[in-house]
Formats: sequence, structure tokens, C-alpha cells
Amino acid sequence: MSEQRLVGKTATVTGRVGPGTVGEVSVHVRGGTETYFARPADGAEVIEKGQQVLIVSAAPARTLYVTAIGVF
Amino acid sequence: MNLAASSVIIVPAAVVVGVIIVVILLFKAMWRVAEPNEALIISGLRDKGIAKDSSGDEMGFRIVTGKGTLVVPGVQAVRRLSLDLHQADLQVDCVTHQGIPVHVSGTVIFKIGDDPGSITNAARRFLDQQDKMDQRVHNVFAGHLRSIVGSMTVEDMIRDREQLTARTREASGSEMTKLGLIIDSLQIQEIDDPTGYIKNLAMPHTAAVASAARIAQADADREATEREQQANALKAEAQRNAAIKEAGFQAEVDKANAEAAQAGPLAQASARQNVVEQETRTAQLEAAKQQQVLVATVIRPAEAKRDADIATAQAASRVAELTAEGQAKRTTLEAEAKATATRATGLAEADATKARGMAEGEAIEARGLAEAKTIKARAEALATNPEAVAMQSLAEHWPDVVREAAGAFAHVKNFTVLDGAAGVNRALMEVASTGMASFEFLRGLFVPKGVAADAPPPPMPQAASPADLTLVSPATSDNGSTEH
Repeated sequence: MSEQRLVGKTATVTGRVGPGTVGEVSVHVRGGTETYFARPADGAEVIEKGQQVLIVSAAPARTLYVTAIGVF
Repeated sequence: MNLAASSVIIVPAAVVVGVIIVVILLFKAMWRVAEPNEALIISGLRDKGIAKDSSGDEMGFRIVTGKGTLVVPGVQAVRRLSLDLHQADLQVDCVTHQGIPVHVSGTVIFKIGDDPGSITNAARRFLDQQDKMDQRVHNVFAGHLRSIVGSMTVEDMIRDREQLTARTREASGSEMTKLGLIIDSLQIQEIDDPTGYIKNLAMPHTAAVASAARIAQADADREATEREQQANALKAEAQRNAAIKEAGFQAEVDKANAEAAQAGPLAQASARQNVVEQETRTAQLEAAKQQQVLVATVIRPAEAKRDADIATAQAASRVAELTAEGQAKRTTLEAEAKATATRATGLAEADATKARGMAEGEAIEARGLAEAKTIKARAEALATNPEAVAMQSLAEHWPDVVREAAGAFAHVKNFTVLDGAAGVNRALMEVASTGMASFEFLRGLFVPKGVAADAPPPPMPQAASPADLTLVSPATSDNGSTEH
């Protein structure tokens, strides 16, 4: 329920996101910061720590699917 | 009346107050507030507020966080679930990726997730065992830590913190989600290494550092020793220089002392030398004096005598020379005079012969011409008689002529007449005849033959005649017989 509200937001990668591993992103939510597990939205993307990502979709139990935001 | 009226007012007021109080108390009993670090789990009395998950299924209870809610006592049950941070200490014996047994002590910090899903999962598992949650998590996480350590090397565990957290997420993420828990942090506090792997890991570096330290120590020691030795060498050099200088100064002092000691004798010797020089000079002067005396007394007289002898000898020699010269000259002059005399004799004879011939010729010629010219000459003589004037003048100069002729003898210093008086006369005759011949010649020049023969003769022919010469001779003999 609440994960669905995160879709469309941006997050900061705090643990390397890539296939075959569990990444971590930090999201501003409910006035604070929470960390969620993160996986690449296309299943193959590798996103290094510190990059900004867009939350594409969410799965229950704290898992988000993200994709890297290009250089803005 | 007043009392009844007042009671009528007071009673309803008391009732109202009582009702208000009751309502307040009731509300107080029914209203529950969730504090920031807790969640209210309300179950019973299904209402619209019951939570539904994303699939639309009802959960059967309500979760309230961060706000108040009304609970109907007796109908609904309210439980509080703490969302505080929990910590579990882990002591795990495990094996690393390289098969090295290690004893790891770590700490895991976790909490119940803030989202409804996590709260739901946690509420379903731990609502009555919140105090045992640490133990549960410890047991679960020990296995996770074992697997995490087993997938890493000791070096990675020590150095690569990022990899450690990533492995923690991978290993425990899904399981923790099931429990509704979030791992905030996993710290490995200590790795106990019974095999000494870590120590050995550090050994090369330790040895290198120790070696470097020893090398540095040795270098420093060596350098210090070198400096020390250099300093010693410099010290020795300085000492040597000082000794040399000292010796030099001592030598100078000794020299000066010796010189000072010798100054007296030296001065004495110098004075003695001067005395000797002066004595030598005196001796020289005396010798010079003696020499001068010798010169004056012996050499000069000897020289004078020698000069006198030389002069005498020279005089004698000169006398002899002059005598010889005079003899030679006399002989020469005699020979010359004899030759002259002979030549004069020859010449006179020749002249006499010639004159005789010429006189004859002229006599013949004159005789022929005289007749022819007699008339003319006589007429001219009558007209003018220049010849007479000329002859007169010639007669006046005759003595000069004779004197010039006699001048030939003037340069003869020694006129030696060998024949005595007769010789003198002959010589004078010759001179006179020479003057006669000159006279005749001059007369021939000035006087024509015919006229001369007929004209009265001037006084000179008498002077030129040989008979008159004897009269003249005494005058001329003064010159010719001076030496005689």
C-alpha cells in the first residue's frame, strides 16, 4: 500500500544495485528517510552507490524497482 | 420560595456537570494515542478503518501510527508494538572463504520497519514476544553471519566494508522482510584468529617495517659513526696543525734565541772584520807608498838614464845618418854637376856650330837683301825711328834679362865649382852667352835684319860681347860664389 506511493519518486543508491545482488536505496518518506531494497527495473542495469534513481515500481515487503536517472 | 427556586436551578446544573464529567471520562477511556516510536494494533469490531493490503484482502486488524484513535473498550483490543531500535550481539565460530577458522564477534542493529507491511509481519510474529525478539534475531542472524563470513576472505572482512553490507543484505534481506525487520547496521567488532592468519598476514609488512627500521637505525648509526670519525679526524688534524704551528713557533723562538746568543760574537766578529779591513787598507797604502818611493828612487832614475842613453844613441844614429846622407847628396850633386857640365859643353858646341852656320847663311842672305832694302829702310828710318826707341828700351832692360838668366843659379845652395876660378868663369860665360843668345833672338824679333845691320848699334851689343863679360862678372859672381 505505502510502497505504491513511492512510485515516481527519486531515491539515492546507498548499496550497489545490479542483477544477482540486493541493492539499497534511501527514500524520503513520511518526513524521514527510509531504506528499501532495490533491484534494477530492467533486470540488467548496474547502478553504483551515490547515484540518483527513479522508482519505477514497488513490490510489497520493501522492495523497489529502480532505474538510473540520466545526467540532468 | 427562594430556597425552592435555587434548588430547582442547582439540581439540573449538577446533573449537567455530572454528565459532562462522565462523557469526558468515557472519552478518556476510549481514546488511545500512538506515540512516534510505537504502533497501535487494534483488533475486533470490524469497521471501515480496518486496513486492507494492496490486493484488497482485509488484514483483520487496524494499525495506527503517529495519531490517536477511538477504541471501544470491551469490544476492541489495543496492543502497542514498539518500533524502537534493537541490538543483538553475535558470537560466531565460522570458516572464511579460504577455509580459515575464525571466531567473529559482531553486532547487528535492527528495528521493525515503519511501513504497514513490516508492522503487520512483525505484529503477527512478535506481538507477545517483543522482549524475546533479540534472542530470535540473534539465532537467525548467527546463521546469516556464518554464511556471510564463509563467502568472504579475511582481508575483505577487514577492509571491504561495502562488500560486507552488500553480503548482509543479500543473505538476510528476504528473511528479515518476512520478520518485518530492517537491518540498520551490521558491525564485525572482532575477528579472533586462532591460526594466526592475520598475524602472519601482517608479518611481511611487519618484517619489512622492522627491516626498514633496522636499516634506518643502522644507517643512522653508520652516519653517526662516520660523522664521529670525521669529527675525530678533524680533531686530530687540528691537533696536528696546532702541534706543527707550535713547533714552528718554538723553532722561531729558538732561532731568535740562538741569534740573540750569537749577536755578541757576531758583533765582535764584525768589529774585528772592520778592524782587519782597515788594517788591510793601511797595509795597502803602505805598500803603495813603498812602491811610489821605489818608483821615485829607482825606476825614474833608471828611466831617465835609459831615455838619455836612447837620446844619445839616437843622436849618434842621426849624426851617422846625416853624414851618410850628406855624403850621398854630395856624390849625387857632383855627378849631376858633371853631367850638367858635360851636357852644357855639348850644347854649347852644338849651338856654336849652329850659330856659325846660321850666321854664314844669314850673312849671305843679309848681304843680298841689304842692298834691296837699303833705300827703303833708309827712307823709313829718316821718317821715323821706332827701332831706335825699341832698342833703347831693350838696352835699358838688359840687366834684368841677365839677372833672370842668372836666377837659374839662385836656388842652388851649394854651388861647387870643381875647376876652381876657371870653372867659375866658364859657368858665367855660359850664362852670359845664354843671355846673349836671348838678346840676339829678341833683337831679331823687333829689328829687321837689314835695318839692324845698317842702323847705328844700340849700346847693348857691347854689353853682350864676350869681351865685356869680364866686366860684368864681379856683379854676378856675388850670387854664384856664395858657397864657395
